[in-house]
Amino acid sequence: MEFSELIRTGRAQAELLPGPEEPPLRGTLCVTGHHLLLSPGPPSTADLWLLLLRSVDSIEKRVAGDSGTITLRCKDLRVLQLDIEGVEATLDIARSIEALSSLESVITSFPFFYRPKGLRLGDAWHFHPPECYYKRVARETNAWRLSEVNQDFSLCPSYPRAVIVPRAVDDDALARSARFRQGGRFPVLCYHHAPSGTVLLRSSQPLTGPQKRRCAEDEDLLRAVLAGAHPGARGFIVDTRSAQAAKQARMTGGGTEAKAAYPGWKRLHRPLERGRALQESFVRLVEACGDPEQSMDRWLSRLEGCRWLAHVKEALSTACLAAQGMEREGACILVHGAEGRDSTLLVTSLAQLILDPLSRTITGFQELVEREWIQAGHPFQLRCAHSAFSHARPKHEAPTFLLFLDCVWQLGRQFPLSLEFGEGLLLALFEHAYASPFGTFLCNSEKERCLCEVRTRTHSLWSGLNHLKEQRKLRNPLYVLNPLAIWPSVEPQSLRLWQGLFLRWTRPPESSEVAWEKVWQIVTEREKTEGSQPTAST
Amino acid sequence: MEFAELIKTPRVDNVVLHRPFYPAVEGTLCLTGHHLILSSRQDNTEELWLLHSNIDAIDKRFVGSLGTIIIKCKDFRIIQLDIPGMEECLNIASSIEALSTLDSVTLMYPFFYRPMFEVIEDGWHSFLPEQEFELYSSATSEWRLSYVNKEFAVCPSYPPIVIVPKSIDDEALRKVATFRHGGRFPVLSYYHKKNGMVIMRSGQPLTGTNGRRCKEDEKLINATLRAGKRGYIIDTRSLNVAQQARAKGGGFEQEAHYPQWRRIHKSIERYHILQDSLIKLVEACNDQTHNMDRWLSKLEASNWLTHVKEILTTACLAAQCIDREGASVLIHGAEGTDSTLQAASLAQIILEPRSRTVRGFEALIEREWLQAGHPFQQRCAQSAYCNSKQKWEAPVFLLFLDCVWQILRQFPCSFEFNEHFLIMLFEHAYASQFGTFLGNNESERCKLKLQQKTMSLWSWVNRPSELSKFANPLFEANNLVIWPSVAPQSLQLWEGIFLRWNRSSKYVDEAYEEMVNIIEYNRELQAKVNILRRQLAELETEDGLRESP
Repeated sequence: MEFSELIRTGRAQAELLPGPEEPPLRGTLCVTGHHLLLSPGPPSTADLWLLLLRSVDSIEKRVAGDSGTITLRCKDLRVLQLDIEGVEATLDIARSIEALSSLESVITSFPFFYRPKGLRLGDAWHFHPPECYYKRVARETNAWRLSEVNQDFSLCPSYPRAVIVPRAVDDDALARSARFRQGGRFPVLCYHHAPSGTVLLRSSQPLTGPQKRRCAEDEDLLRAVLAGAHPGARGFIVDTRSAQAAKQARMTGGGTEAKAAYPGWKRLHRPLERGRALQESFVRLVEACGDPEQSMDRWLSRLEGCRWLAHVKEALSTACLAAQGMEREGACILVHGAEGRDSTLLVTSLAQLILDPLSRTITGFQELVEREWIQAGHPFQLRCAHSAFSHARPKHEAPTFLLFLDCVWQLGRQFPLSLEFGEGLLLALFEHAYASPFGTFLCNSEKERCLCEVRTRTHSLWSGLNHLKEQRKLRNPLYVLNPLAIWPSVEPQSLRLWQGLFLRWTRPPESSEVAWEKVWQIVTEREKTEGSQPTAST
Repeated sequence: MEFAELIKTPRVDNVVLHRPFYPAVEGTLCLTGHHLILSSRQDNTEELWLLHSNIDAIDKRFVGSLGTIIIKCKDFRIIQLDIPGMEECLNIASSIEALSTLDSVTLMYPFFYRPMFEVIEDGWHSFLPEQEFELYSSATSEWRLSYVNKEFAVCPSYPPIVIVPKSIDDEALRKVATFRHGGRFPVLSYYHKKNGMVIMRSGQPLTGTNGRRCKEDEKLINATLRAGKRGYIIDTRSLNVAQQARAKGGGFEQEAHYPQWRRIHKSIERYHILQDSLIKLVEACNDQTHNMDRWLSKLEASNWLTHVKEILTTACLAAQCIDREGASVLIHGAEGTDSTLQAASLAQIILEPRSRTVRGFEALIEREWLQAGHPFQQRCAQSAYCNSKQKWEAPVFLLFLDCVWQILRQFPCSFEFNEHFLIMLFEHAYASQFGTFLGNNESERCKLKLQQKTMSLWSWVNRPSELSKFANPLFEANNLVIWPSVAPQSLQLWEGIFLRWNRSSKYVDEAYEEMVNIIEYNRELQAKVNILRRQLAELETEDGLRESP
């Protein structure tokens, strides 16, 4: 195997310092193609310690005397220290980790080798195909149809094979509309809100360019959307860029919908941060969180300076705006920014969580992530190539998905009974998006996943999660179905730093987790006692 | 009654009340000597009963003949009354102003309040110093109760009974008192049973510019150390401030004269700095501009969390000296009635599991705040909305409660009480129908005859029906020392106090209810299972008996 060329030293004696609260671990360190292993010596009964090399974000080495120290900063924000015997061994191991953790090839990545017991390949990959969501829409309305116009990914490389479009619009019109939208991302349905009969759509920017080009089929498509909703329906186009930025985009061939061309639709601009600015915000926040010795003033001003919470607030506010338009104004909503693969998805997925009780269940949320992020073509591989510790200049990295998870956490904090899943699921999704033994978050689009045969050659995270022994860690013990929309407060005083993620490895363990652990204990005990009751009484 | 003179218009009809989380209500407004009452006369639940003493500031506005009074309460709530008629509005406003700022303590509501509940246990006698001392006397004979301050002559801000080293007689105590600020000679605050180390507290020594000494003081302080042991003096002022205090007759212990003691300076802010901080924080919390940067920079500028961090750090230091270094501690600042009490009482929360129970915490408040002479009346006269700059107000007690909340948040299973208990204490410290927080020290309380004339807060709180509201369902006795994290990231704004009226806590409360229900239900099921098991066992033995013959 080609990995062996990258592994310079097979093994060395080392001591691992996993974190401030955990005891050190001594043993033999081993680098394999995908993992760093530490097997404790015979006197210790501790289990083998294992780290996926893919989850290493940055590595720092120091040598002194005849030993060396490697500091590994992981993508899940953990910081590990390895004290290794032998200078040569240290340098070799560091080089091997460096080379192996930054391999770019998808098909040599660990998910293609991971074969856990109890799971069958191909399972759960079809938990959430577009057809499945369409069935639900079709039960509620017949104004929409499932189009396979993108069967071979030729119309839009970042869309899945099947998309939901207005029944009144045929595939030819879709093809023309696709040519008018950046990356071929023509408007498609992402959510039908049955109580008000309105819909949520997403697309990319129209390619109006400096000459203010128009496209009759694109206009027809949006007209058909309003006609299919209810008579006299209005629509809002939520542009996730500022009016200024949208205007400037015309110079580079993009642009925004002209008012005159789309009667019934009103454009609203809600600028959301994206790309490098968002990545820098993330990096600065993690930096600030890592220093426990600073003064309160310094901490608060760094928290303010990194602007992360401002981004959380903007994302939630925009989602509320979209949800409000649908629920309260009875309007249809189209969301897009430039490419329609980042902030657009953030808004559409959060709006669904606010409005749709089904998306707040465990399966519903998994379905939402699958449909609105993975199949909708969020480029996970590019965005999550590096996390907050990387020294490399960010190219395409951006924590858009993490920002989404943070917003979901804020919802959960404000509505502790309304989400069926707990913080555990959000943390798991964050970890797996950045480094995972499962194939779910691999590649940038369905097309790439097909080419790499991800579905047949790797396991799905969803089947992994659903087979997890520690199922309860993902669930919210207090969940009660809430059939209403949940309107979060987006006032700055209501939003909090997500300690469970950003301070996960630095703060002392006894905290709210302990309280949750206790509630869980009680709930499972109750289930046990309840279960045993009938047998006892008969 | 003299209140009648202050009430020109006792009632107005068609007044509209606006308050947080409720729809506007129209009703009749009545003013009594101690309350502002609004009744809609339809449903008793829509009534507002507000103690005048809870009112911190009022604003009035007029649009035509419709007047509006905005009432800002000491618990940070803001309510609005729309009153038809300019004259009525002006009369009501001036009455509220007069009634909420009465000077005389004996006119306060606790002297008029007659409880509607049955008193099971008189709270005035719930926490007697003798009983507290008994808890220690089994573990040590190095300390004694002294009645030297029986007449409040030695130290006006101390209670009649204090705990002092056994080897020091009352005569020496009198001499030491003249050497300490306000006569506050070093007394025992806490005895750590695990290793016999103690926390003492006092006022600053009056060394002055010429470095005065007091042999008895040195003897007293050294008497608390065992042979060869060292102790720590934690001065809650910075070295600079302590040095400046010498010019005004105060000062600090010279190392040469207290060779076994090491002095450590911390800087906990006091007085108007804390009051300003509270005013800024509450202003920031009420800010409606919806701007994240502005909120965070206002939160930072208020410095409130910095004060929380400093106080907790000092308390951790004291606890560390006791538990980890095995050294006794003497804590003082200048007067020894504010930051000293914060540090000493929080150190006990960290060290002593009993102080994390309801009774233990009440005893701590009684001993370390009320009897220790924290001037509640001066400190809590006004709250965050007051415009007039007065000298004595400071949210010292609120900061203490905030620190307790931070520890509670970090150790959610280690406290017998919940957040509501702390909020309740905050409310009663500022405005109450009970006499507990009246007066500035025991001496004043005696003169006011509070025990005879008013009801104790503890008489009300310690009834089972009230206690159940304050119980922490997750409590599991934790006999260990609990070390809170004081990293800035670990400290949070106390939403339950500061955002209480800005944000509806409906959903969070529901979740809490649900958790309580689950725990209750679990307990019932456990009991049922136990009964069934017992029945099963009985049946099995019966079967055995039947089969055996």
